[in-house]
Amino acid sequence: MKKKKIFAALLAAAMTMSMLAGCGNQDAPASNPGSSGNDDGSTQEQQSEQQSEQGSQQESEQGDVQEQVLKVAAFEGGYGSDMWHEVVAAFEASHPGVTVELTVDKKLEDVISPGMKVGDYPDVVHLATGREAALTETLTKENALLPLTDVLEMTVPGENVKVKDKIVPGFTDTLATNPYGDGVTYYAPMFYSPCGLFYNAGLFKEKNWEVPTTWEEMWALGDKAAEEGIALFTYPTTGYFDAFTYATLSSAGGPEFFDSCMTYEDGVWESENATKVFELIGKLAQYTEGTTVANANNDNFTKNQQLILDNKAIFCPNGTWLPGEMKDAPRADGFEWGFMAIPAVNEGGAGCSFCWFEQMWIPAAAENQDMAKEFVAYMYSDEAARIFAGSSAIQPIVGVSDYLEGDNKLFYSIYDNGATAVMGGFAATAPVEGANMLDTLCGTVNSIVSGDKTVAEWQAAVEEVSDKFRAAME
Amino acid sequence: MKRGRARKVFIGVCVAPAVILFIIFMLIPTFNVFKMSLYKWGGYSNTKEFVGLNNFKILMEDKNFFRSFQNTVLLIVCVTVVTMALALIFAAILSREKIVGQNFYRIIFYIPNILSVVVISAIFSAIYDPNNGLLNSIIGIFRGSDKTPILWLGDQKLVIYSLVIAMIWQAIGYYMVMYMASMAGVPESLYESASLEGAGRIQQFFSITLPLIWTNVRTTLTFFVISSINLSFLFVKALTSGGPDGATEVFLSYMYKQAYTNSSYGYGMAIGVVVFIFSFGLSALVNFVTKREPLEF
Repeated sequence: MKKKKIFAALLAAAMTMSMLAGCGNQDAPASNPGSSGNDDGSTQEQQSEQQSEQGSQQESEQGDVQEQVLKVAAFEGGYGSDMWHEVVAAFEASHPGVTVELTVDKKLEDVISPGMKVGDYPDVVHLATGREAALTETLTKENALLPLTDVLEMTVPGENVKVKDKIVPGFTDTLATNPYGDGVTYYAPMFYSPCGLFYNAGLFKEKNWEVPTTWEEMWALGDKAAEEGIALFTYPTTGYFDAFTYATLSSAGGPEFFDSCMTYEDGVWESENATKVFELIGKLAQYTEGTTVANANNDNFTKNQQLILDNKAIFCPNGTWLPGEMKDAPRADGFEWGFMAIPAVNEGGAGCSFCWFEQMWIPAAAENQDMAKEFVAYMYSDEAARIFAGSSAIQPIVGVSDYLEGDNKLFYSIYDNGATAVMGGFAATAPVEGANMLDTLCGTVNSIVSGDKTVAEWQAAVEEVSDKFRAAME
Repeated sequence: MKRGRARKVFIGVCVAPAVILFIIFMLIPTFNVFKMSLYKWGGYSNTKEFVGLNNFKILMEDKNFFRSFQNTVLLIVCVTVVTMALALIFAAILSREKIVGQNFYRIIFYIPNILSVVVISAIFSAIYDPNNGLLNSIIGIFRGSDKTPILWLGDQKLVIYSLVIAMIWQAIGYYMVMYMASMAGVPESLYESASLEGAGRIQQFFSITLPLIWTNVRTTLTFFVISSINLSFLFVKALTSGGPDGATEVFLSYMYKQAYTNSSYGYGMAIGVVVFIFSFGLSALVNFVTKREPLEF
């Protein structure tokens, strides 16, 4: 009887212990990931073996060079992950003693943010703004990024040019790299992609239609196509209206007007120029394919893109990744990708195209900041640019677009044909609870198309949210 | 005396693991949610600013929050009423009547419950497809296929009911099996004497079956409240992402949006507190209202 009791007590104690051990274990490896550990041996034999092997290898190679571990986290976009592995290998080869721990993932936020919450930050992060999880924006709003001003002044590793001289002029002057609007660069501009309207060039040939260059011609084409049962317009999800509205705002009122929209100037959304844009989208909504709203969600947006391939709708706003995304989809006979800038809002003005680019940044809490800056500077070397361009990821480096071939050449030539490049995005502010500028500006388009809200209601709502953000900007 | 003390120590040691686990994984996180709701915090940096009840003040003026509140309540009510009614009917038929292929039906009804919500969402995306979806094709037979298609996921007045249908489809099997289990415990002799007295099947159901499985029904009501709140998040996330234009935003999807994509973690936690209190209160209320003297058999 007594024995049994002691046994039970022991069991209970063992359970408590194992539970506590389970809790404790979690951060043990995380706290010191790079150390070549022969430390607590037995349970993690395999791991420590691997690590010590790595360690000895490095030691033999580098002799007295200081060993460093650089943690790089990169978003795996449409360009794939291979290029990142190649670039990291090239970086390690040119920087003896540096080991790069690379994390590449399509859902990068989900992979790195749990670690970040407990203070385990990557040293360099490649993750664009405007993503649903808004990790980049959150860190910006929290002032948790490192200024990159001195990176721009650095010499590109292995070359004798300064970083700022290699970047195409204009790319580091906008809110998309200087989020606080104070001239300090926090995001390094990486792969860029013009956004515009995609269409089936084959359809235009077949029907003997002219590609419209003004909105007047656009509406005329819409009426003509409607008789044949083809809608003028569709959109994948309302998320794509950010690029569309940015471009049309800039086209309606010029770059300064665009900047005042992005910095929430008082009354700017109710100004004459903004009204033109709201009304333009309101009219476009009437020409939008009937089932678009039902499929404008993350599950079904490809059905909307398919409308272009099936000749059921003519134009669709998107970025240059669209042909790649739809490459296996069935399509109408004689289909051929066409791509154009958005026609000018004002009569006689130039067409416009929003230039979307991904960003790279360094968290202020990064441990290895000097090497992180070196890594960012290395991104602009010819060696790195060539590797990226091999996967059609084009950086804003002078001369890189010459590497392009095929369809991509057409897409990137959009600015050569007279269209104005629009860059930027909403200025960073302190978080505003319960208000979201992009949701109000773009998400409402669904309600305009379905007729649940009027353009005037939409415009008033945008101005109201903008007021809240202006208050949060100081 | 000494023995009594040893006994207490022994009980303490035995209970300790569960208590410690409960404190670490339930009490402390819950307490943290309540605490964080008083701060303005983005979720990452160390700049937490204590704002008192300000988050709740903003919440009371947030139209989007009230919309998600309405949607959640609508979902809870519709899903609970319809699912419970259908599950009870099916359970009564399958356990009282002699039908060929009873087990087959039981499995068929239960299958949706095994599927992941993402799979169910994909199935319903296909069913609701405006052009070649199952639902519009069937309706098209009656109203003519040349009419404009019904946008099950695009019409803002309709889309929430599209969610209701998917959630009911998913939940019926689970509750049916639960009701069947307790119906199996009702003694056959009661039904026998009832039919001798001349009671029809429907009367038997209301006078014998329902009262005798009442405790079970009460328990499932609490399940309904909790699972409607939880599952609606998954369905919304996979099927509509809260759209079109916020028409299907529910409690948890709105909370998630605020906490993780709008950089206002503290505000998200304030929503969490409201959800916590609401679901607790509603469960308690349901429990109180449905309280009956338990019947013995």
